Amino acid sequence: MDSLSIYAARASGLHKLNPVTKFSLTLFLLVLGLALPGMWTSYLILVLIIVPLAIWGKVLDRLTRIVLTISWPFILSVFIIQTLFWGKGTTLFEFGPFAPKLEGAIFAFTSSGRILLIMADFILFSLATRPDTLMISLKQAGLYPGMAYIIVTTLQLVPQFAAKANAILNAQRARGLETQGNILVRARALLPLVMPLVIGSLMEVEERAIAIEARAFNSKHKETSLIEIPDSQVQRIVRIGMIVAALLAIVIRILWR
Amino acid sequence: MLDNIKKEFSTRTLVLIPIAIAINIAIGQLVYTLKLPIYLDSIGTVLVGALVGPWAGAVTGGLANLLWGVVPPPLQNAYAVPFFYVAIVIGLMAGFFGKRGVFEKESPRWLSVVIGAVFFFALALFILAFVNIDTSAGFPVYPSMKDLVAQYLVVFVLAAVIGAAIGYYLLQNGGYTGLAGLATGLVAAVISAPTSAKLFGGVTGGGTDLIVAAFRADGGSLWASVLAQGSVSDPFDKMLSFMVVWFILRSLPARFKAR
Repeated sequence: MDSLSIYAARASGLHKLNPVTKFSLTLFLLVLGLALPGMWTSYLILVLIIVPLAIWGKVLDRLTRIVLTISWPFILSVFIIQTLFWGKGTTLFEFGPFAPKLEGAIFAFTSSGRILLIMADFILFSLATRPDTLMISLKQAGLYPGMAYIIVTTLQLVPQFAAKANAILNAQRARGLETQGNILVRARALLPLVMPLVIGSLMEVEERAIAIEARAFNSKHKETSLIEIPDSQVQRIVRIGMIVAALLAIVIRILWR
Repeated sequence: MLDNIKKEFSTRTLVLIPIAIAINIAIGQLVYTLKLPIYLDSIGTVLVGALVGPWAGAVTGGLANLLWGVVPPPLQNAYAVPFFYVAIVIGLMAGFFGKRGVFEKESPRWLSVVIGAVFFFALALFILAFVNIDTSAGFPVYPSMKDLVAQYLVVFVLAAVIGAAIGYYLLQNGGYTGLAGLATGLVAAVISAPTSAKLFGGVTGGGTDLIVAAFRADGGSLWASVLAQGSVSDPFDKMLSFMVVWFILRSLPARFKAR
C-alpha cells in the first residue's frame, strides 16, 4: 500500500475521523473555494481551515512540500501569461516590449489561490485517509457498493498504471522510438505508447470480473469487515451540515450575479 | 430508462470503469507533461461509451475528473476537477454515438478526405479570422470571409490539402467516428470555456497555455481567447480520442466486444 498512495500514518485526531466525514469536508472546502467570490477567499480558507487541520493531523510539512512541488509550474505560467498578455489595464512598469498589467496580476493571484486550495484540499485528504478504509466506510454510509468499488479501485489502479506506462515507454525507447524533440516527433510517439497500455489493460477486465464475482461481489447480504471504523452522531450531523452548506453556497453563487 | 441504466452496469462494466479512468488519467498526464496543445484525457471515457453505453460513459467521465484530484502526485491534477461536468457530457455523447453504431460502420475513404479537408479549412478560417480582428473602432470587427480567402489563399489551400491527407491516412475508414469526435469536441469547447475563463483564466500549466497566450497577445479578450483556444484544441482532441478508440476497437478480439 505504501508505494501506491501518499497516505501518511500518524496518531492524530484527523486520522481517527471517519473517512466519509473527511471526504465530505474535502468536497465542502472545494465548493466553498470555487463558489465564494473575492481574491482573498481561497487564501483565507487555506490559512484558517486547511493549515490548522494539517497541524492537527501532523502532516503540515509533507502537505506544504507536495503542494509547492506540483503547483509552481501552474503559478509561474498563470502569472506570466495573465500579467504580460492582459490587454488593456493599468501598467505596472515597462520593461522593453513587456508591460505587465495590474488587473492581470490580480487575476493571476486569484487563480493561483484557487488552484492552491484545490490541491491542498485533496492532498490533505489523501495524506490523512487510508484508501481501504474509505471504501469500507463509504459502503457503511450506504453508498451503492458498485460505486464504492469504482472509486477505491481507481485510486489503487492509477499508480500501477503510471508504472506500466513508464515500462512501456522504456520498452519502446529501447526499440528505438524517439520520445524527445519537436512537437511532431513527440506526437508521433503517442500511439505506440497508448495502444499497448490500453489493450493490455482491457485484457485484464475478464480476470478481474471473475475474481470479484468469485468473492461474492454481487451478494445481497450485508458484509462484515475486519477493520472497525469509528463513527459518531456528531460526525453524522457535521457531514449533513457540510453538504447542506455546500449546496447553499452553490445556490447563492448562482443567484448572486 | 431505469432498466436501461441498470443493464449497463454489469459486473464487467464496474470492472471496466476504473480501468478506463486510469487510462484517462495516465494518458492525460502523459500528454500534460509532454506539453502538447491537446488533452487526450477522455480516451477511457469514449471507450466505455462506445463499448457499454451513455450512462456508463457519463459515470466514467465524471468520476475520472473528480478522482484526478485525489490520486497521489505526480499524477494528481486538481485542475481537472471543476471540468467534471464536461467529461460527463463527453461520456454521454460517446455513448449515444456508440448506440447509433458510429464506431462500427465503415465510411468510404473519400468521405474521410472531405471531412479532413473541411475541418482544416474551418480551423484555418477560424484562426485567421481571430488573428485579423480589427479593434481600432473600439469594438471587435471580424474580417469578412471573402477578404480573408483572398488574402490568405495559399494558407487555405495548404490547410485543405493537409486536412485531406490527414483524413486519408488517419481517419481511413473511420469517417463517421471522426465526425462524431468533432461534434463532441465542439460541444466540449463551448461548455468548458466559461469555467476555464472564470476559474483559471485559461491557464492550466499544460501545452494549451501557449494557444491562449497567442490569442491574448493578439488582442483577444480573456473570454474570447479561452473560447478560441477551446475551439482549436477540443475538436482536434476529441477527434483524435475517438479515432484512438476506433483503432482500439478494431484491435480487440471479437470475444471481448461480444459481452
